[in-house]
Amino acid sequence: MKKRMSKITLLLAACFVLIVSGCTSKSNSEGEKNKEGLTEFTLFSADPHSQWDDMGSPVSKVVKEKTGVTLKPEFDVNGGDQKIALMVASGEYPDLITPKGGAGTLVEAGALIDLTDLIEEHAPNLKKIYGDYMNRLKWSSKDESIYILPTTPVDTQYFSPGHGVGLQHSVVKELGFPEIKTLKDYENAIKQYKEKYPEVNGQPTIGLSLLADDWRIMISTTNPAFWTTGVSDDGEFYVDPKTYEAIFHYKRPEEKEYFRWLNHMNAEGLLDPESFVQKYDQYLAKLSSGRVLGIIDDDWQFAEAQRSLREQGLHDKMYGLYPATLNEDMKHANFQDAGYLAGWGIGITVDCKDPVAAIKFLDYLASEEGQMLQNWGIEGEHYTIEDGKRVISDEEMDKRNNNANYVKETGIGVLKGFAPSYGDGVLDSNGQTYTIASPEQVKDSYTDVEKEVLSNLGVEMWRDLYPQKDEFPVKPWGVAFNIQVPSDSDLALIEQKVLDIVKKRIPEAILAKPADFDKIYDSFLKEIDKAGAKEAEAMRTELIKERVELWNN
Amino acid sequence: MKAVTSNERTMTIIQKPKKKSFWKTFVQQKYLYLMSVPFVLLVIVFNYFPLWGWSMAFQNYKPALSLFQQEWVGFEHFIELFSDERFYRALRNTLGMSLLGLTVGFVMPIIFAVLLNEVRLSVFKRTVQTITYLPHFVSWVVVAGIVTKMLSTDGGVINEMLISLGILDKPAQFMAEGTYFWSIVVASDIWKEMGWNAIIFLAAISGIDSQLYEAAKVDGAGRLRQIWHVTLPGIRPTILVLLILNIGHLTSIGFEKQMLLGNNLVVDYAEVLDLYALNYGIGLGRFSYGTAIGIFNSVISIILLFVANGIFKKYSNSSVM
Repeated sequence: MKKRMSKITLLLAACFVLIVSGCTSKSNSEGEKNKEGLTEFTLFSADPHSQWDDMGSPVSKVVKEKTGVTLKPEFDVNGGDQKIALMVASGEYPDLITPKGGAGTLVEAGALIDLTDLIEEHAPNLKKIYGDYMNRLKWSSKDESIYILPTTPVDTQYFSPGHGVGLQHSVVKELGFPEIKTLKDYENAIKQYKEKYPEVNGQPTIGLSLLADDWRIMISTTNPAFWTTGVSDDGEFYVDPKTYEAIFHYKRPEEKEYFRWLNHMNAEGLLDPESFVQKYDQYLAKLSSGRVLGIIDDDWQFAEAQRSLREQGLHDKMYGLYPATLNEDMKHANFQDAGYLAGWGIGITVDCKDPVAAIKFLDYLASEEGQMLQNWGIEGEHYTIEDGKRVISDEEMDKRNNNANYVKETGIGVLKGFAPSYGDGVLDSNGQTYTIASPEQVKDSYTDVEKEVLSNLGVEMWRDLYPQKDEFPVKPWGVAFNIQVPSDSDLALIEQKVLDIVKKRIPEAILAKPADFDKIYDSFLKEIDKAGAKEAEAMRTELIKERVELWNN
Repeated sequence: MKAVTSNERTMTIIQKPKKKSFWKTFVQQKYLYLMSVPFVLLVIVFNYFPLWGWSMAFQNYKPALSLFQQEWVGFEHFIELFSDERFYRALRNTLGMSLLGLTVGFVMPIIFAVLLNEVRLSVFKRTVQTITYLPHFVSWVVVAGIVTKMLSTDGGVINEMLISLGILDKPAQFMAEGTYFWSIVVASDIWKEMGWNAIIFLAAISGIDSQLYEAAKVDGAGRLRQIWHVTLPGIRPTILVLLILNIGHLTSIGFEKQMLLGNNLVVDYAEVLDLYALNYGIGLGRFSYGTAIGIFNSVISIILLFVANGIFKKYSNSSVM
């Protein structure tokens, strides 16, 4: 029997060995150079990349040749947070990482190396591209290291507004192109058109539809409260530009009036009763059917519906964005400048085999030569030089616009997300823009209906309807929402609690009888205070002051 | 009825344990034991090893640190959990929906199976069975889409029907009313799972000796009498075992349904424990807090399981342990 027992023990032991070795086996990618003689860096990206070319496209081949570096990336589809938590738990990191919001976790675990000296010694182009914003790369006032190289385009000019109230072109045309300056103007336009045309294609016309599906409630229901009252985006907060005092933006009396207006819209029967119930796909389907006259949303959120209307040929059912505010004294702050938003970007980890090669690689991508490759392509192949200017032939432009796999096949822009880049409208040493985007290109993309509406409104582009960038001061703290806080901090917890109350009470207040609105709104404000809103405001204020100090000294 | 009881009696006689030392049996059945080793190991590795993770609930767990560097906080997370009113609301919703689901969702498949069994035409029977269990394979994402579409105020089938029948004069906001939410979840769950859950009862029914039905017929029993005295007693053990197991799962009803069907207006009725753990535990990187909720869940499940098992053991001969 003893013998038998020992056999069982042996079996047990064997099983354990298998399990243990299964857990710890390492891939053999430790070699310095791969078979092509290139330094191979592993890279983890928190974002998916549908156009990844395996470094095999013509442009990527040039990059490999020039830098001697190739990438072996892993793209996450879940935003990276879980994978990053696992990496931290196991202590094994890729060479390069674009962690998005997970950077705080990595820094806390000591996984990223300080890039300050590397940039100083090896990266003239990175220094050039960030210029005066170098201060903004510092992690915090306690730790002034640079862990993340922001990949947000630098000094981008916006050619189109992203926020505002959306109105169907047909409504504006029908009513003889009225000015849409205030919410009242907007309401009247919707009301008049709806009375005239109670049905679209046999289905009832919907006046104003909002979206409140999970976090999207912030984009379409709660953020417009500050947009329409003349303040720009600081997430859930309003920051006093003089004292840097942060409060939850719902506490501003002006915003209460915005929600009261929505409540009024509901009482009038102009608000879609399904606004707070519908899911995102239902919302898009509704917009694409052309029977929703007005929306209050960000351009990227309804872009899909807009595209679908365009494809269906329903050009007069597409939406234009207008800078409507609560009253005429307020200025829609869509174009207020927050300065360079250093936040998300790429970092080099402690496991990186050759940090110098890595920083040189990123530096090359940020150089003028690298930027040309990522934006324009290879000379003679994707563009030609005529009279000293880069020109893209019509044939190539057509491919760019219509070939869904253009990026993957040519490699133009494949690596753009992994390194800093110049934004739209920034000029290179020849006086031509780094990117191919230009106001002319935007104008060319307008439909005939859009052109008609704009010319009747007396402007050339949608952005001309809005107050311009130079009418607002630059926000010295950037934006409040991209100040990194650890996800398990008290601040994050309170913010989550407050947000959960907001998601519930704001729709309730909007759908209530107008007589009950004040009561519900006031008890909502009390409720968020009870959940710790005041503490969170104090903590945010502290963080904002610290950042102003860090960025502007 | 009589036949069944005598049958049970003979079984108990056979099962009467003979006095024999464990080691003797062990040696005798050594190969059987050996064969079970991999499975025991599997259970140990995947069901007992992870229990080690429970230690997280008593620390302020930070992912990067080793066990010895963690900060131990005792029952702090449990105290926070039990003092959060949101938790009690989540608990109420969980128990409400699962009890509702257990009563309705458990009885329906039995009735369905019994009725289906009475159908004589086997083509019809098989077709119905297939059609009713197919929804089981449809993802909740799709089902939630169908349900919201059907209950929509904007041309939803249910509202149109109620209006044309004159029951309502304007569309009802089914999805916006918190008090309807539990019923909507339970009803859609029944639609999706009834056919699938009935399979096991159908199998149990087909195992009943047909002589019993013949004997009942000779005694003058009609259809309903046969169901009452033969079919139902025949599947009683199955029903009881499944009921006990289901009671053990009362607090873990998952969260897909609630997450996909819910919206901001009904969140007070839609947030269940798992969703709460997701939002306020893992979602915020508070692994320890999430683990505390998980432990609470498991402890409640075990207690429920033992209580249910004990009760059934006392009043009938069926039990799972």
